[in-house]
Amino acid sequence: MGVILALLVATFLLLPIVIVIPMSFSTAISFEFPPPGYSLRYYAKFFTSEEWLEPALNSFVIALGASALTMLLVVPAAFGYVRYRFRGKALVNLLMMAPLVVPHVVSALAYYGFLARARLTGTHLGVIVAHGVLAVPVAFLVISATLKGFDRNLERAAMSAGAGPLRTFFHVTLPVLRPGMLVGALFAFLSSFNEAVVVIFIGGRGASTLPKKMYESIRLESDPVIAVVSTLLVSAVVLGVLASAFLRRRPANAA
Amino acid sequence: MTAYLSLRNIVKSYDGRVNAVDDVSIDIAKGEFLTLLGPSGSGKTTTLMMIAGFEEPTAGAIELEGEDLTRCRPYERNIGVVFQNYALFPHMTVERNVAFPLRMRRFPRDRQAARVREILDLVGLDRFAGKHPRELSGGQQQRVALARGLVFNPDVLLLDEPLGALDKSLREQMQVELKRIHREVGITMVYVTHDQTEAMTMSDRIAVFSHGKLEQVAPPLEVYHRPRTRFVGEFIGDSNIFAGTVDESRPGCVTLEALGPIRVDVEAWRRVGKGAVDVLVRPERVQLAIPSADPALPNQLVMEIAVLVNYGDSVLVIGAAGGQRLRMRIAGAPPDTIREGATVIVGWRPGDEHLIARS
Repeated sequence: MGVILALLVATFLLLPIVIVIPMSFSTAISFEFPPPGYSLRYYAKFFTSEEWLEPALNSFVIALGASALTMLLVVPAAFGYVRYRFRGKALVNLLMMAPLVVPHVVSALAYYGFLARARLTGTHLGVIVAHGVLAVPVAFLVISATLKGFDRNLERAAMSAGAGPLRTFFHVTLPVLRPGMLVGALFAFLSSFNEAVVVIFIGGRGASTLPKKMYESIRLESDPVIAVVSTLLVSAVVLGVLASAFLRRRPANAA
Repeated sequence: MTAYLSLRNIVKSYDGRVNAVDDVSIDIAKGEFLTLLGPSGSGKTTTLMMIAGFEEPTAGAIELEGEDLTRCRPYERNIGVVFQNYALFPHMTVERNVAFPLRMRRFPRDRQAARVREILDLVGLDRFAGKHPRELSGGQQQRVALARGLVFNPDVLLLDEPLGALDKSLREQMQVELKRIHREVGITMVYVTHDQTEAMTMSDRIAVFSHGKLEQVAPPLEVYHRPRTRFVGEFIGDSNIFAGTVDESRPGCVTLEALGPIRVDVEAWRRVGKGAVDVLVRPERVQLAIPSADPALPNQLVMEIAVLVNYGDSVLVIGAAGGQRLRMRIAGAPPDTIREGATVIVGWRPGDEHLIARS
C-alpha cells in the first residue's frame, strides 16, 4: 500500500518532466505529445542560435559568480555559528534562513528597488548579488551540518604535531571539509541556475538567463526549443545531485 | 624524585563558579608512566588538555624541566597527544599522517622517510604505510595515532583513554604493547583512563581524581593497599569500608559502628591519631573462621550470605554483617558451608585492614 502510494506520488511529480524529454526530440512545429516523429532539429537550433546561447552563457557566469558570493558569505558565518556561543545565536540562524521564507516575488521586488538605485539592474553583477543571497539558506544548512560533524580533535592533533592555526586550517580543516563545501557551492550554483522570478524582475536585457529566456519564449511563440532547454536543465540538475552524492561518500566523511 | 613535568596548583573553571580542576599539583619524573584515574567529570581529561595546551588553566603553572609552559600554544610545546577516537587525518595515508609532525616541525627532509619507517616498525605497522585510516581496524588506527604522537621525539606523550574504544582482548593486547613501547622509547607518558584495571597494570604511579580534586598520587599497590581517602578505597578495587572510632584508651583498638570493637595494627592505630576513622578491608582479606582451629582471627563477624558470584578462579561472597554490607572473596572452590542463605563466621587478622582518618 505504502509502496503504491509512493509510486503514485513519484509518477505525479516526475511525469511532466519526463514528457518534456521526448518532446525535445520532436519534429512537430509546436508542443505536441506524443511527438509525430523524432529529430535533433531543435537541438541544432538551440546550439546555433545566438538568441539561446547568450542566455545559457549568462546563466553559467551568473551561477558561478553567485555560488562564489554565497560561499564567501556562508563559510565564515557557518564557522562562527557552529563554533562559538554568543548572544542572539538563534536570531542569526533565523536571519540566515530568511531568504527561504520570504516569497521570491517579494524579494524580487525588493531587489528591483534596491538594485535600480545602485544602477545594477540588467547587469550580471546585480543578478549575482541577488542570487548569491538567495542561495545562502541552502548553503548555510549544508556547510554548518558538515562543520558540526567535524571532529575538532583533528585540529588539536594537528596543533600538537606543531602546526599553527593557519597551517592547521589549510592542511587539515579545509581538506577534510572540502566535500561538504563543494556540495554547498554546487547547491548554490543550481539554485541560481534554476532561478526565474527574481531574474525576470532585475535581469533586463543585459543579464537574461535561460529560465528568463524560456519564460519570454513560451509567452510569445511556444517554440519546442524550450523542451530542449528543459531537458538540458534537468540533466544538469541530475548530474549535480549525483556529483554531490559522490562527494558526500568520499573519504573525508568516513573516520 | 626530581620533577621533569610539574603541575603547580592548577585550577580550571569554565564558568567562574565551579572548578573543573581544583588546585592540582603533581610532579612527574622523566620517563615515568603516570596515569590520571577517575570517574567521568573528575577533571582528569581537562588536566591532560591543559598539559597539551588545548585549555588554559585559570590559575597555576605547568613547568617542563623548570621552564614555564603555562601560556605556550600547543604547537609551541614539544608534546605528543593520542586521542581516544584516534583523530587520524582521513585525507592522508598512514605514512603522511605519521610524517605530518615531521613536516610541521621542519625535521630534515631527507631523514623524514627513514624516521617514519622506523616508528611504523616500532608500532608494527610497516606494511600499512600506503593505506588510508578508514582501511584499518580500530587497533591499527590507534597504533598509527601512537606513531604520530611519538615520531617527533616529544618530551612527553599524552594519551586520552586511548584504548577506550577497543574490545577487551584487543585492549589487553594493546596494554602490553604500550608498556613495551614505553620501555623501549623511555618517554614520559601521562595516561588518562577511567578503567582502574588498566591503571593498575600499566602505571608507575596513579593519580586519582574526584570532583576536580587530586585524591592521591602513589604507585598502584600503595593506592590499592593504602588509599589516602575513602573515595580512593571505594573507587579502586573491591572494598568493605566500616565507619568507626579510634579507642584511645586501648592501643590497637577501634570501635566500629554497629559491629563493635575490633583489633587493628598497632602502628597504624598510632599513626591515625584519634577520632573518627574508616576501616577498609579488601574482600580477599576476609576469610572464613574455622571453629576452634584459628585463635589468631580475633575480628570475627557473623555473616549472612545473600549472593555468590562465581568467577571460576575465585568466588565473591556478598552478604551482610550486623546490617552492614560485607563482601568476601575466596580463592578456588568454596567449602560446602558457603551457600546462599547460609550464616557463617568470618573475620580478618589485625593488619589486614587499612585505616583512613576521616577529615
